[in-house]
Amino acid sequence: MGRLKVKGKAGAAKNYTTRSAAVKKLQCSLADFRRLCILKGIFPREPRNKKKANKGSSAPTSFYYTKDIAYLAHEPILKKLREHKAFAKKISRALGRGEWDSAKSLEENKPHYRLDHIIKERYPTFIDAVRDIDDALCMVFLFSSLPSTSRLPPELVENFFLSIKGVYYQAEVMDQPVTWLVPYQFTQNVPSDVDIRVMLTFLELYQTLLSFVFFKLYSDTGLVYPPPLDAIKDEGGAGINAFSLQDSSRTAPAQQVKTVSVDGRQVSVKDIRQTIKAISVNSGADTPDVEMPETQEDQPEAEEEFVVHQSSTNTGNNASLPTLQTLSALPQTLTTNLFAPYTFFLSRETSRPIFEFVIRSFGGRIGWPASSGAGSPFDESDPRVTHVIIDRPVVAKEETPAQRELRLLRKFVQPQWVIDCINAGKVLIEEPYLQGKTLPPHISPFGEYEGAYNPINAIDAKDTADVLEQATDSEEDEAMEGDDAVAVAVANVDPAALRAAELAAEAAGVDYGTFEAKVKDATKKQGKKASATEDDAEGDMNKMMMSNKQKKLYEKMKYSQRKKEAERTTLEDRKKELVKQRRKKTTS
Amino acid sequence: MAQHGGRKSTKRKQVDEEEHPQDLPRNGALEMLTDEEDAGDASSDDGQVDKFPEIVAESDSDNSELGEESDGGDGEEEDEEEESDDDTESDDSLHVFPQAKVVISDITKQLKTVYPEIEPDYDSDSSTEDPPNRVGNIPMHWYDDLPHVGYDMNGKQVLRSARGDELDKFLATVDDSSAWTSAFDKNTQSDKPLTPEELDLIRRLYAGENPDATYDPYEPTVEWFTGEGKQEIMPLSGALQPKRRWVPSKWERQKIMKIVRAIRHGRILPSKTKSTSKFEPYAIWSEPSSSQPPPLPAPKPRLPTNAESYNPPEEYLPTEEERKAWEEQDPEDRERDYLPQKFPSLRLVPAYDQFMKERFNRQLDLYLAPRVQRVKLNIDPNSLIPKLPSPNSLKPFPNYRSLQVHHSGNRVRCVSVSPDGAWVISGDEAGVVSLWEINVGREVKRWKFEGKIGALGWCPRTDVNYFAVGIEDAISFIIPPNVDASVLSLTQSVLAPTTLPPPATTPSPVKWVTPPSSSWSLETPIVTIHLPSTSGTASNFSWHRRGDYLASVSTGGSVWIHQVTRRHSQAPFKKIKGAVQAVLFHPLKPHFFVATQQYVRIYNLSEQKLVKTLLPGIRWISSMDVHPSGDHLIVGGYDRKLCWFDLELSDKPYKVLRYHSRAIRSLQFHPTYPLFASSSDDGSIQVFHSRIYSDLMTDPLIVPLKILRGHYVVDGLGVLQVKWCGKHPWLVSSGADGSVAVWCS
Repeated sequence: MGRLKVKGKAGAAKNYTTRSAAVKKLQCSLADFRRLCILKGIFPREPRNKKKANKGSSAPTSFYYTKDIAYLAHEPILKKLREHKAFAKKISRALGRGEWDSAKSLEENKPHYRLDHIIKERYPTFIDAVRDIDDALCMVFLFSSLPSTSRLPPELVENFFLSIKGVYYQAEVMDQPVTWLVPYQFTQNVPSDVDIRVMLTFLELYQTLLSFVFFKLYSDTGLVYPPPLDAIKDEGGAGINAFSLQDSSRTAPAQQVKTVSVDGRQVSVKDIRQTIKAISVNSGADTPDVEMPETQEDQPEAEEEFVVHQSSTNTGNNASLPTLQTLSALPQTLTTNLFAPYTFFLSRETSRPIFEFVIRSFGGRIGWPASSGAGSPFDESDPRVTHVIIDRPVVAKEETPAQRELRLLRKFVQPQWVIDCINAGKVLIEEPYLQGKTLPPHISPFGEYEGAYNPINAIDAKDTADVLEQATDSEEDEAMEGDDAVAVAVANVDPAALRAAELAAEAAGVDYGTFEAKVKDATKKQGKKASATEDDAEGDMNKMMMSNKQKKLYEKMKYSQRKKEAERTTLEDRKKELVKQRRKKTTS
Repeated sequence: MAQHGGRKSTKRKQVDEEEHPQDLPRNGALEMLTDEEDAGDASSDDGQVDKFPEIVAESDSDNSELGEESDGGDGEEEDEEEESDDDTESDDSLHVFPQAKVVISDITKQLKTVYPEIEPDYDSDSSTEDPPNRVGNIPMHWYDDLPHVGYDMNGKQVLRSARGDELDKFLATVDDSSAWTSAFDKNTQSDKPLTPEELDLIRRLYAGENPDATYDPYEPTVEWFTGEGKQEIMPLSGALQPKRRWVPSKWERQKIMKIVRAIRHGRILPSKTKSTSKFEPYAIWSEPSSSQPPPLPAPKPRLPTNAESYNPPEEYLPTEEERKAWEEQDPEDRERDYLPQKFPSLRLVPAYDQFMKERFNRQLDLYLAPRVQRVKLNIDPNSLIPKLPSPNSLKPFPNYRSLQVHHSGNRVRCVSVSPDGAWVISGDEAGVVSLWEINVGREVKRWKFEGKIGALGWCPRTDVNYFAVGIEDAISFIIPPNVDASVLSLTQSVLAPTTLPPPATTPSPVKWVTPPSSSWSLETPIVTIHLPSTSGTASNFSWHRRGDYLASVSTGGSVWIHQVTRRHSQAPFKKIKGAVQAVLFHPLKPHFFVATQQYVRIYNLSEQKLVKTLLPGIRWISSMDVHPSGDHLIVGGYDRKLCWFDLELSDKPYKVLRYHSRAIRSLQFHPTYPLFASSSDDGSIQVFHSRIYSDLMTDPLIVPLKILRGHYVVDGLGVLQVKWCGKHPWLVSSGADGSVAVWCS
C-alpha cells in the first residue's frame, strides 16, 4: 500500500492561490496588489477544476498561480510600495502637526520605484517589446489631450483607417505589425465608472516601455533621445517642429546632457509625466532625412498637453550622415515616394497632425495656414502647391484673377483621398474626391475574416450582373409558370401527370421538341436534386455514428458558419436593394 | 530644627533666621507647617534659578542639592510628625490643670510663676472628680481590643472609663452648647473641646484656604541676588579654572576630521540628491537577457472592419429595427460595441464618447481576465462526419412498407414471425391474436382471449408448429390451423403426451393444464400454464434455440423457465436484485442474459453462477438482443440510448448510439442477414447494417441504413415491437396506432 495522500497538499490545491490568500501572503493592500499585477503582467488563471483548487468550495473567486505570487513576493517594487506606505504615514503626520520643514525633507526623500527591471523581465528582447506596444501607444495618445500623430519610419507605415472612433495606424516595426488608435482632436471626458487609478498605473508602465523602445529606435538610427525641445517654437504652436534632432555621433556628450537637463526642467515645471513618442524619417526627394520625434506631456487632469515638433533648423546640418545610415539600413519601397512629386497645402479645418504625418511619411511636402500652428515651410500663395486638402462645401465667392489662376492650377481634394491613395498603394484619380463631391465609401485596409462580404467586389462586378440577372429573372418568371407543371410532373415520376403536362403545353402552343427538351432538363434537375438529397440524408445518418464530443464540435462549427453566412447574405441583399433603388431613381 | 538648619546653605539660613521669630510662640501642632513653608521657599528658589539660565553649572548643582535636600526633608517631615504628635500629647495632658503664667514680679523684678487662684468653692475640689488616667504617652490603639487602656504607676490596669450610650451622648449635646466643637480624646478617654486655633484650622481647610493663618500669598518679591545691596561681588570659590575651559578639545577635533575625511572621499554626501520620478532611458536590450522564455504576449484586440469606417458602404448602416435591437441589448451582450454611422465628410465626425471606457475595459481584460490558450480547429465541419459505406452498397435491407394489417385501433403490443417466415401472429391489448400471411396480409385465424396479450413467441422448432401467447398471468400454447398432419400429431404429442411425465419432486406454484383430448379445437389452447396470480402479465418471451425451454418475464419481475417436454416450470433465481425487464438464452452456450433496470447479468445455467455483469449506463433498459454469433449484445433503453456490447471485450459498451428522439421500445438482430433494427416511441424504425468480422482485431462495422416511418404516435407511444422475418430481409413492426406493418427490401 502506498503512502496515504493528504488532501490539499498537492496538485491544484497547491498550484493555485485565491486572490485574498495572495493579498494576505504579500501583506499589502488590494490596491497595491492590483498595481503589482498590472506592472508585472500577472493575471488570474482558470483552474481545470475550481473545487479542487479552492479546497472544496465552489464560491466564485479568482485564482492565481502560487508560483506567480511567490515571484511577486520577491519583487523590489513591493518593498518600495511598503516604504511608500510608511512615507505616506510620516508625511501626513508631519502635515497634521504643521511641521513644514520635516514634511519638506520627507517629500524630498520620497521613495520612488523604477520599472526598468520589469521591462527587461517582461520583454527580454526588443521584438517582444515591439509586439506589445499597441496598447501602450493607444493609451498614451488617449492621455494626451490633443489627438496626435505618431512618427514612425515611413517605409514601415502600412495602413491608415479613418473610423468613427478615431484614426487607426498600422506600422511594421522589426517585422511586427503594430496597430494603434488615436482619437480625434477632442477633449476626452472621463466616465464615472472608469477607475482612473488603474489607468494611471498602466500609463506608468507604458510610458516606461515606450521610452525604452524609442530610445532603442533613436539610438539605432544614430539620434539623441530624448530630443531637445525648442521652447520658443513650442510656444508658437509649431507642434512637432519644436523638437530639434541631434545626431548622437556629432554632439558632445556634455552638451547633450546639458540640453536634456534644461529641457527636463522646463517640462517638469509644467507637468509630471513626459513620454517621448516615435520617430519618423522623412525621405523626400529634396528634403533630407529627418527624424521627427515627439514628446508627449501628460497631466493627470483633462488639461493635458501634447507637443509634437519637427526640426526645421537642423535639417540641413544633420542631413548627410543619418541619410546614409538610414538609407542603407532600411530598404526603400515604392510606396515611400508616393507623394514625392506633390506639394500639399492643408486647409484650416483639416487636422494638421494627422495629415502632416501622413503626407510627410510618403514623401510629400506640406504647408499649413498660421491658424494651424507656426512653422509652415510655405504659405498658401506658393505656386508649388499642387493639392489643397479641403474639407468644406463649395462656396461661390468673388476672386481676383491671380487667385483664379492659382485655383485652376491646383486640385482641391477631400482628406479621404490621401488615406485611400496610401491604402491603395497608388495615386488615385482625384475626380471622385474633389471638394463638395459625395465621397466613395472608405473601406478598411485591414480586411475582414475569410468569406466575409466584400463591398468592393459587390460594387464592381458581381452586383450589377446580379441585378441585371434579377431583372431578366422577373421577366422570365411569367414564362416559367408553364415549366413548373413539367417540373412537378417529372418530380412525381407520374406518367399520367406528364401526359397532362404535355397536353397543357400543346394547348399553350409549345411545340413537342421544346417540350421534350424541357422534360429532359427537368428530369436532369430532378436527378441532381435527388442525388443531392440522398447525399444529405446519408450524411445526416452518418452523424449518428459521431461521438458526443464530435457532435458538439460539429454543431458549434456549423452554428458559426451559418451565422457568418447569414451576415453575408443580409449585406448582399441590402446592397442589391440599394442598387435597385438607385437604378429606379435614375430611370425615373 | 537646629540639625535641620545646619544642612542648609547660607541663603537658606537667612530664611530660617527671618522665620524663626514668628515660629517661636507657636505650639508644636503647627510646627510642620514651617517646614512646608521652607519647601515652598525652596521652590521659589528654583523659580529664580530658572529665570537666570546663564549660570548653568551652579544652577545644576543647586538643583541637585535641592533635590537631595527635599528628599531629606521628606524623611524629616515624617520624623517630625511623630515628634509633633508627642508634643501635642504632652501639651494636652498639661492643659488639664490651670496653666501657670511666668510674669515679672513687680517687687523683685524677677521672673516668677504665677498660678491661678484656686477658688475654694464646690467645684474646686478635684478629689471628687475621676482622676485622669495616667497611662503615659503610649499609642492608645494598642489597647483597642482590651478592657483596659494601660497601666498606672503601680502597674495596675487602668480600666476604660465607661462611655454613655447614645441617649447619654444626645443629652450631653443638648446640655452643653460647646459639645459640637469637642472631640473624643483617646488618651484621656474623654471629650475635649477644640481650641480656637484648631477650629480656625478646620475652617481654613474646609474653605480650601491655606491652612497657615500667617501665610501671605501676596508678599513682595525679594531680589535675593540682584536686589539693592545684595549683588554678589566675590566668587564663591577661589579654585583655578580647569584646562578644558580654554584649550580646544582634541577628541572633538578628531571626530570632526573623521567626518571631513568622509565628505572628502565622498562617503558622506553633503546634501542628499533629491530623488525624482524622472529617469533616463538607456539601452536596456543591449545586454543579453536571461534564458527564460518571455511570458506569452497578451492577445491583440480585433482590427477594425468596414463597418467601423466613418464613411462605410451604405449596406453596413443598420436598419431601424437593428438599431432598436442594438439599443435594447445590454452593453455586454452586444456583438459590436458601436453602431455603424455614415458622415459625409471628415470634419463632421464627432468625438467617440466611449473611447475612455473601451480602453479601460481592455485594461481590465489585460489584468483581471484569466487567459486560456485555445486551439482553434480550422477544419471543414463535414470532415468530422465519419465516412461510412453507402447504404446502396449494403442492400438488401427493408426500405418500404409492403403491407399493413389493422387491429381495430388497439395497441398491438407484440408480434411474432413463424420459423419458416411465412406467417405472422400479432396480439393486441384487447385480447385479440391474429394469424396472417406475411406476403399478402390475409388473416387466416383470429383468437379472442380475455385480457391483454403481453407477449407472443413462436416455437423455433421446425418439426413441430405452435406458439406461446402470454395472456395476463397465463401462458397458452396454441397450434395454428392448416398444419401438416404429421407435424400436427408430433406437436400434439410434444405438448400433450398421452403419458404425462412424472411430476417434479418439489411442488411448484405453476400449474400446467391440458384440456381433455376430446375437447381439443383450433380455438382453444392445447396447454395453459398458470403462473402465480401475483406475478402479473407475461411481457417477454425467449425461446431456447432447441425449442424445449421457454423463458418468460412477467411485469411483476418474476422469471420462469418452462420446459415443455417435462411440463415443468422453475424459477431460476430465488431472489433477483432489481426489476427484470427482459431475458434471453445465449444462442450457442448455456448462458442466460437477464436485464434488470440498469444492468445486464449473464449467468451460466449449467454451472449455476454469475458470469458477467454489463454496465450499459442506461437508466432504464427496455429491451435487448444478442447477435446470432453470441458475442455481441445490443441493449436499448427508455432514455433513448442504444449500447453495443462486445462480450469478449469489456463490461462497458463498445459503442453508444443516441439517434432516436424518444424511448427505444424494441430491438432485434436479423438471424441470418447482417442487419439489426430498433423501434422507438418517436414512431420510427431505424435499420442498421452490422457486420461482424471473424478477425478479432477488426471492430464491428455499424452503418445506419434507413429510417422507416409510417406508424403514428398515439398517446406518446410509437412502434412497440419489431421482428425480423427469418429468411428474408423483411421486418414486421407493430405500433400503438393498432397497425402491424411489413417492411420489404
